[in-house]
Amino acid sequence: MFRFISNIWGNFKEYIVLVILLLIGIITLSLNQKPAAKKVKSLAFGGFAAFTSVISNVFNIAGVRSENEHLRKLNADLMIQISELRKYGIENAELKGLLGLKDTTHYPLIPATIVSKSLSRSQSTFTLNAGKRNGVLPGMPVINDHGLVGIINTTSDDYSIVRTLKNLDLKLTVKDERSRVDGIMKWDGSDLVMIDIPKTYDIEPGDRIITSELSSIVDIPIPIGIVIGLSKVQTGIFNEVQIKPFVDFIRTEHVFVIGIVENKIKDGLQLNFYKRN
Amino acid sequence: MRSEYIWSILLFFPLLIIQTTVIPFISINGVVPDLILILLVFYSMRSGQLYGTVLGFIYGFLFDLITGSLLGSTMISKTLAGFIAGYFSNENKRENYFKSYFFVLIVLLCSVVDLVINSFFSSVDLNTNLFRLIFEQGILPGVYTSALSVFVILFYPKRSIN
Repeated sequence: MFRFISNIWGNFKEYIVLVILLLIGIITLSLNQKPAAKKVKSLAFGGFAAFTSVISNVFNIAGVRSENEHLRKLNADLMIQISELRKYGIENAELKGLLGLKDTTHYPLIPATIVSKSLSRSQSTFTLNAGKRNGVLPGMPVINDHGLVGIINTTSDDYSIVRTLKNLDLKLTVKDERSRVDGIMKWDGSDLVMIDIPKTYDIEPGDRIITSELSSIVDIPIPIGIVIGLSKVQTGIFNEVQIKPFVDFIRTEHVFVIGIVENKIKDGLQLNFYKRN
Repeated sequence: MRSEYIWSILLFFPLLIIQTTVIPFISINGVVPDLILILLVFYSMRSGQLYGTVLGFIYGFLFDLITGSLLGSTMISKTLAGFIAGYFSNENKRENYFKSYFFVLIVLLCSVVDLVINSFFSSVDLNTNLFRLIFEQGILPGVYTSALSVFVILFYPKRSIN
């Protein structure tokens, strides 16, 4: 018996090991949402980010960093204000004279630098040098002076991981700024698309896409991109709207995390998916 | 644990730092080469199929853990890539492989398999066009990775390092 097993192992050990390791990999896939797995992940990337931040700092010119951060913060503030003004302009034209809109132009911005980028076609993530100690929490939006970069996914004490818009796991409710049409936006591996948009909806190339107030993750209007075309026009009853993001994900180095205090009533009603686990 | 494993794992960390800090600067239209895979193919061809399979598993696990990717996706793809690369670990031909463009072709093959498997696990979507997925997420980055692996041939010692 021992000889038989020994023979099998001798002849097929590569295949046996391969199958065992693949099975472990498949089992691990199902453990992703477990709190323990998330904790181990946050410890691992936190430790590693400390090293990458040193390397990353070499690429930043120390003398102009503080000034740059100040200017970028100003830019990001202005970008949000412009976006708010555009929104208010359109709403004003429609609602004519309705009063009582709350002033929500001031949001707490937490400055952060990208210390490493894991770029892939399906799961692009950035590591930021701001974490729980800075007030960063999972679910907070990340922006730069052009628009939305992504959403905080995991945090450690001093670092956090952002799921960028170019990540298959990130889906957001967005809005056509001109026609006010809402839709779900996702990354399909090669394009940013709004999916399942009825053909009768008014969306045209050149329209600006912003985050929608219906979103349980980002409910303030942050620019996302511009419509560059519609696909699946010939078939089916739905269009797919292709969006070109405003943010250049390759060149982005400095970002801001918006320290939004989540809307408790909305969270209670909509079951924000970040709280399901 | 064999000392060979320790060295190959120690080398993984500086390479991952380069992969996540420097490599994004040389991306072409979002396509980035994978230095970790080149290292994996090199060690797999040098030390055998079993070694390559286990090393691919370890590299994938560390990569998923550190970069925040879907835990398990890179583990599976790198394990398979290491297994395939180890298939070319022929003691008699090994030196010739490292000194010829055959190495680049092996990197291309492993890279395409690694990327397609990885994107398949992380993008399960019935609407995805399979050919487009293989081309955009497999072949394009694979070609870039294999192009970069030419440096291994150029800098590989003329005499055996074993």
